[in-house]
Amino acid sequence: MFLKRALQKRRQAGSDEPHGWLGLAFIAPSMVFIIGLFIIPLVMTVWMSFFRWPLLGRRKFIGLENYAELLGDSQLWQSFGFTLLYTVLVTTAIMAVALPLALLVDRPLRSVGFFRTVFFMPVVIGFGAASTLWLWLLNPDSGVFARLLTGLGLVDQAPRPLESFWPALAVIILMVVWKTAGFTMVILLTGLQSIPNDVIEAARIDGASPFSRFRRITLPLMRNSVLLALILNVTSSMLAFDQFFIITQGGPNNSTISAVFTIYLASFSSYRLGYGSALSFALLVVLVAISSIQLSFMRQRPEDGR
Amino acid sequence: MLKTKLMLAAVALAASASWAQAEEVNLWVRTSSAAVLQALAEKYNAAHDDTVNVTAVIAEQMVPKLGAAIAGGAPPEGAVLDLIYLPTFAANDTLEDMTGFVESLPYADALSPSHIRLATYDGKIYGVPALPDASIIAYNTDLFEQAGLDPEKAPASLDEIVEDAEKISALGDDIYGFYFVANSGSWLIYDFLPHIWAADADILTDDGREATIDTPAMRETLEDYRTMWQAGTIHPTSRSGNGNNAVEAFASGKVGVLMTGSYIVNLLDSNYPDVNFAVAPIPGPTGGQSSFAGGDTLAMIKGIAPEKKAVIEDFVKFYMEPEQQVFITQEAGMPSRTDLAEEAYANFDPRNLIAYDILSKARTPYTYASDELFVSRTGPFLNLIQSAVFGDDVDGAIATAQEDFTKILDRTNP
Repeated sequence: MFLKRALQKRRQAGSDEPHGWLGLAFIAPSMVFIIGLFIIPLVMTVWMSFFRWPLLGRRKFIGLENYAELLGDSQLWQSFGFTLLYTVLVTTAIMAVALPLALLVDRPLRSVGFFRTVFFMPVVIGFGAASTLWLWLLNPDSGVFARLLTGLGLVDQAPRPLESFWPALAVIILMVVWKTAGFTMVILLTGLQSIPNDVIEAARIDGASPFSRFRRITLPLMRNSVLLALILNVTSSMLAFDQFFIITQGGPNNSTISAVFTIYLASFSSYRLGYGSALSFALLVVLVAISSIQLSFMRQRPEDGR
Repeated sequence: MLKTKLMLAAVALAASASWAQAEEVNLWVRTSSAAVLQALAEKYNAAHDDTVNVTAVIAEQMVPKLGAAIAGGAPPEGAVLDLIYLPTFAANDTLEDMTGFVESLPYADALSPSHIRLATYDGKIYGVPALPDASIIAYNTDLFEQAGLDPEKAPASLDEIVEDAEKISALGDDIYGFYFVANSGSWLIYDFLPHIWAADADILTDDGREATIDTPAMRETLEDYRTMWQAGTIHPTSRSGNGNNAVEAFASGKVGVLMTGSYIVNLLDSNYPDVNFAVAPIPGPTGGQSSFAGGDTLAMIKGIAPEKKAVIEDFVKFYMEPEQQVFITQEAGMPSRTDLAEEAYANFDPRNLIAYDILSKARTPYTYASDELFVSRTGPFLNLIQSAVFGDDVDGAIATAQEDFTKILDRTNP
């Protein structure tokens, strides 16, 4: 549909026929990927969500029953609430760390490349590996943190942060900030560097203080990269799974079970593939809604607001 | 030159001859049992033309992976499963009927009864015992002595354990009276349910179709655990533990009583010879004894080729031989043939016999929804233990569990 319309538009614009088909040839590989890895699985997920679909045994069409159950599933609402809380906290924390880092490495110093590398380095580690690493560091009996804190005499007993909710959440946020702030820093740095130098110079000559230069010139001109960083962080936090699966294992007492974790438990612990599909689709709807709101902010040109 | 050619031809011929006859079968086993079964398979392969390949699968991924492989039409020929999963797989028509084979074995009557019971569905037998084990308590006799308790006399009730644990914890700030793995459903079925059975109660009806959570035995057991938690006599890694630190904690000599399994005796003997301990049956709140008859059952996946079926049956006969049964006893603490017990135990620590003797009173819940009810992290069984022991409303926790169990059973009963 879209493709046909696009091709028609090209034709109306006076371009030659062959160009249209050449364009199609160029996008064909990605279309195969999108159809094969996104559209087909999505349609199958929706299809499965209308069934009672156990791992073993017969499946049965049950219409919207899974969705009806989902609305009354207290575990699901708790996990959605927790995921939102986590998303708000972790996104704020990442932005609060990444922005100063970006400003710090946006200098024409010789050593700046070294620092950019250091800050970016944790990004290349996978979430699974990073979580396992932190779990090991946090071990109260053999972990480095415990040894360090007791060795320096700061505490008598090795801390056990994973045994209560807020410390467990704090540890996870710390880990995620360590691991992902570098990525956000790079996005913000791109925004920073696209600001023409003469604008800042002009403000400086006009006598604007560093703080007001940052607030009135730099930040507004970085708007799109900040929004992009927010969209990426919010999306990935809403889909967080590995860190909770590995580090807290949903504990203590099921308080750190994220939305995706709930889907995992329904599908691969209770083997309710139909219900798991319904949960996945519900999460997709929520995510699309949040992302569209964010994207609509990004599409407004700064001038529109004036 | 000619000699080389001749030799090559001979080798090729030999290779193709054995290739034409020898069969290869794949067995999936859970990681905790992989070392033993791998060793058994290697012994078997060395003495036979056929090959048994053992693939280790992480225990908690066994059911989803096997289920997906069966659904996808590419399952292994056989699997060695935690016996508790047998009813689920059998009821869903995914396993090969082994009734004829089991009945043809000369020692059929001596096969671990719990394994056969769990492998039986609709009058047919779908598996043979591979590795049995039973749950017991281990207690540190040095700590018992230091706390002024009689190390010769094992605690005869959970109430007694509560008192002992308090005295042991009083020895010092790093010493704790009690250790149980509170955050793993599979451990809790194994180590917690025997308290209930010892008091002649149960959590499910015999046919696995109804929940019977609300019993005096359950309430007393939970109260005892709660008392220990509030008195601070339970080791701190107990609560969030998944079992990885349990043996280590006990072996460090700082835990009085550990809820564990039959394998602990030979494991401590070989890895931690300095720990002085004794083992005893798991008691009920006010007395009695019971155990979880656990371990692994070997099953064949439905649709297996007859030639491959023959290889697996041959492998089963091989590991049922006295020599292999002794090896299994060394690794798991227990033979799967009861008629070989004396022979198997003769070489090992006599403390192994405690677990063996309790087997006649041991039970296993027969259920079609073991994972959803018992193993799942958000499942009703884990919720019951966590909220009753570490929370403050035992009655509320029991009522919620009864309700949640019933909801799941209504949906999953075949």
